[in-house]
Amino acid sequence: MNTFKWLLKREFWEHKGGFLWLPIIVGALMIAFTVISLAIAVSGVKGGMEINGVAVSSFADIVTPEKRAAFASAIVGNYTKLTMPIMIAFGACVFFFCLGALHDERKDRSVLFWKSLPVSDAETVLSKVAMAIGVAPLIALAAASATAIVTALLICSASAIAGVNIFAEVLSDPATYLAPLQLVAMLPIYALWALPAIGWLLMVSAWARSKPLLWAIGVPLLTGALLSWANGMFRFDWNMAWFWKNIVGRLLGSILPGAWFSQQGQGLAGPADAATSGVLGPALSHSWLLLADANIWIGAAAGAAMIYAAIRLRGWREEG
Amino acid sequence: MNAVISAKGLTKHFGKTIAVDNISFDIPAGRIVGLIGPNGSGKTTALKAILGLTPFEGTLNVLGLDPRTQRDALMQQVCFIADVAILPRWLSVGNAVDFVAGVHPKFDRAKAERYLASTKLKPSLKVKEMSKGMVVQLHLALVMAIDAKLLVLDEPTLGLDILYRKQFYQHLLEEYFDENKTIVVTTHQVEEIEHILSDLMFIRDGRIVLSSTMDDVGTRFVEVMVSAEKADAARGLKPIDERQVFGKSVMLFDGVPRETLAALGEARTPGIADIFVATMKGTYA
Repeated sequence: MNTFKWLLKREFWEHKGGFLWLPIIVGALMIAFTVISLAIAVSGVKGGMEINGVAVSSFADIVTPEKRAAFASAIVGNYTKLTMPIMIAFGACVFFFCLGALHDERKDRSVLFWKSLPVSDAETVLSKVAMAIGVAPLIALAAASATAIVTALLICSASAIAGVNIFAEVLSDPATYLAPLQLVAMLPIYALWALPAIGWLLMVSAWARSKPLLWAIGVPLLTGALLSWANGMFRFDWNMAWFWKNIVGRLLGSILPGAWFSQQGQGLAGPADAATSGVLGPALSHSWLLLADANIWIGAAAGAAMIYAAIRLRGWREEG
Repeated sequence: MNAVISAKGLTKHFGKTIAVDNISFDIPAGRIVGLIGPNGSGKTTALKAILGLTPFEGTLNVLGLDPRTQRDALMQQVCFIADVAILPRWLSVGNAVDFVAGVHPKFDRAKAERYLASTKLKPSLKVKEMSKGMVVQLHLALVMAIDAKLLVLDEPTLGLDILYRKQFYQHLLEEYFDENKTIVVTTHQVEEIEHILSDLMFIRDGRIVLSSTMDDVGTRFVEVMVSAEKADAARGLKPIDERQVFGKSVMLFDGVPRETLAALGEARTPGIADIFVATMKGTYA
């Protein structure tokens, strides 16, 4: 296990920019943007900012307890939306991380150094998987949580300046503290759901002699296009929508956190837009309901098989 | 006697071209073997087979292990520098030492740090900020601190200036090598390593054309400067090479007794480079 710890550290050293600084920078930009918007809103310029449909410039109107409560829960419920930019940045980062993970080391021949150490191909590849679905998303979630909390406190401060103090409501709302935990609780779902994409990208990364991006995107898209063409041409009556969604979508799109919300409506209860409604509780239980569906397990099994292929390929492939 | 490396019928094809053609050899412990050959002769391929970096045909036994199937166990005992400057660009000196110390049970951190202290390498320095010579210094510091039974060096000093090259082999000999270790090294700068070698292997077109200890090389090959009147007599002894210097013929003989040759002119032991050139004549023709 000691080796594995060092392998994770090694990935972190190499990809500090994408996995640590990128979420922090995106979070900082969002906070800066919030400060500017709030400053404009507080100064009374019309159309400054809206939070879940409640105009900030009309703070003085929020006098009734119901309105205060609605506003407070709107701030708390803003959480998912706040994490989105960081999660999108994270998704892009993991995509390129996986794509380069086993290709770049062959390209710059540093694989010869890594292979001179007593570390097996399996340990190396699995450390990259663990980075992509464990360590990196946890860092992104931590950055997202910090951003969300700072933003909530900033909005409370701004409304206090405007004459409405809702600190008590926001700070006493359990959702304020539960939200980060609920996001972390979605991590196992992300890990399982993203596995086919992670496996596919790592396999291409280990296999492609050059241009892994072209292979990774080109092969599924071209296959889909050819099948669609044949389907239209010869009227095979294949379900091409199924192919695009379950093969192409899972190989490439699954890497984005929360991508599973767009895949629902297959016998699963609950609103498909749970993720965007702003309330995390239903989104979380909704996510875990996926485990009752075969889709996620078939995808995870395919992902595991492709990761195994990547391990074997790393053993055979020579650099260059 | 237990061979550190034992190859029988080692063969490697790349499509239709043969890179290594059915070679067999044994390398005992405590030797420093120079594997010398022209570009494309199969040196690197043979070394890659030994290190389990490439599939091959035939049998190969390294420290009692099969490099194809037991690579992970093998790497506990074997270390290698394959080509110059292959350390990842983002790695810093400090991280490199930490990482190798973390994953290699036979790494002596104090030894690596002692060696690094004698260089200009600072812990925060990254590989991308180093000169080629400095990268090799770092790599050597890491490798020398690993108590491996077999060290394989494939052109470890290619492209370095003479100061770095001399320093590299000097450190290797003084601070690393002992009778329990074996070193296999390839290089084009033959004359720089001939004094440290104990064994010599010439490889050409995927075959071993000469395999000998350095002591035997000294008795087997003799170079004689022959004056014009004795040249025909000397040619009768079939020199493997002949060149003209200041109106005299310098002839290289293989397996002719030194006493016989001393009668023809001034006899001396040739350098490996001269033997190499004579042996490899016509390689690129």
